[in-house]
Amino acid sequence: MKPTAAEQSLFVVILGAGKGGSALIELLTRCSGIRILGVADSNPDAPGLQLARYHYIPTTSDIAWLVARDEASLIIDVTGDPAIPSLIARHKSPKTEVLGGIAARLIWSLIQAEHEMYEHLAHAEKLSTLGIFTAGIAHEFNNPLHGIMGFSQHLQGETDPAIISEYSREIVTLTRRLSEMTKGLNLYARTGQMPEITDVQIPQLLDEAIKMAAFSTMLDEVTVVRNYAPVPDMQVNPSELHQIFVNLIINAVQAMNARGHLTLSTGVEGGYLTVTIQDTGPGIAPQDLARVFAPFFTTKERGSGTGLGLYIVRTIVNKYGGTIEPVSQSGNGTTFRIQFPLSSAA
Amino acid sequence: MALWPFGVHDREHPSLGVILVVDDEESIRKISRLTLTKAGYEVIEAENGEKAIEVLNTGENPLTVDVILCDIRMPKINGVEAIQYFRTQYPSVPIIVQTGFPDLNLATSLMKQGIVDYLVKPVEKEKLLAAVSKAAEQRTTCNT
Repeated sequence: MKPTAAEQSLFVVILGAGKGGSALIELLTRCSGIRILGVADSNPDAPGLQLARYHYIPTTSDIAWLVARDEASLIIDVTGDPAIPSLIARHKSPKTEVLGGIAARLIWSLIQAEHEMYEHLAHAEKLSTLGIFTAGIAHEFNNPLHGIMGFSQHLQGETDPAIISEYSREIVTLTRRLSEMTKGLNLYARTGQMPEITDVQIPQLLDEAIKMAAFSTMLDEVTVVRNYAPVPDMQVNPSELHQIFVNLIINAVQAMNARGHLTLSTGVEGGYLTVTIQDTGPGIAPQDLARVFAPFFTTKERGSGTGLGLYIVRTIVNKYGGTIEPVSQSGNGTTFRIQFPLSSAA
Repeated sequence: MALWPFGVHDREHPSLGVILVVDDEESIRKISRLTLTKAGYEVIEAENGEKAIEVLNTGENPLTVDVILCDIRMPKINGVEAIQYFRTQYPSVPIIVQTGFPDLNLATSLMKQGIVDYLVKPVEKEKLLAAVSKAAEQRTTCNT
């Protein structure tokens, strides 16, 4: 008799929620056919426990209780604690298999290597986008620099206090503009290798992303509509969320040929924090809709995109337990709808 | 929109020429205006390509404008589109591009279309004045 889907699924228990446990959770939650029954760590502040909760995976500090779960097909022990194997042997169900010791270390090394490769890929995608931005960045910097140099040159030899004061104010304004741009670039280009989870205001981050997107294309003829309903702060790495929003906004603006309406919305719906990014472009062709998140899929000209943007967007959204869905009808624009579970809210 | 020139209006001291400054940024137009009027030019301003075309088509401006100083990245009609129009309609008016884009391909393409100089911001005032003076001279030679 053919096994049912539930019988085919692998029910996994993860012991240890440090770096190894976190990497395992990130990888296994992306695999269909694997369900994580629970994650245990004696340290209640272990980072993997928070990540597990993002994904609605039960967490506990009671290792013996989790090990004894009858439906577990596999226990993966990445605690590194020499006392754990005997505890597992005492409590586990006879049919549950155990991956521990050197085998678990090998798996952990492989996962770490995969994780590092992804981090490099995500960073390379950001740098590649920065490369595409180069002309826009030069333009945005050179304009205020031109003003600063011009007003400074005209200040030389000037004796009228009113004029000196006026030109100085202009220089300060232009310098502040440069400084804001540097901050935005720094937020975007920061590497993902040092996770900095912090409370983030989503509307503020969307506004930052619009400024960054302006480096790639003119936004003067794009009407930006902000429908920001109040949402709780999220506990995330701001750099990662910024990357998501910049990518989606640039795609939206490019789809509209830099002319149309860009609507950014935030809200709370049924236990989820929702962000939508909507354009009034021609929409995505039905045959492309299913492939937009596939790595290296692009409809842009060679050299204009890596084809990794939306793949990375979805990976980051999934990392925080969220989902992203494109809604598009040819001729009626595209809406990307992101939902994050409110458990990731601060 | 300033249809009347900033700068020298004294008939006893005629200006060195009339310059149409096209840039979407107010502070950039202000710097250009300061530099050029202090040097003795009259300045007319436009904040995008569409306004520039409108200004150039107004009254005697087609005859009196000596040099167009034009930005590239602007809303509505951008610099590239405006320059195409100027070169077709007013081929004797020299055009200097003053832009934040250090783009060699764009510079080459615009030079082929007949612009006289491509200046990348930030531009020192001496460099701007030298370029404008050379272009105004070219306009005078054309008219004589």
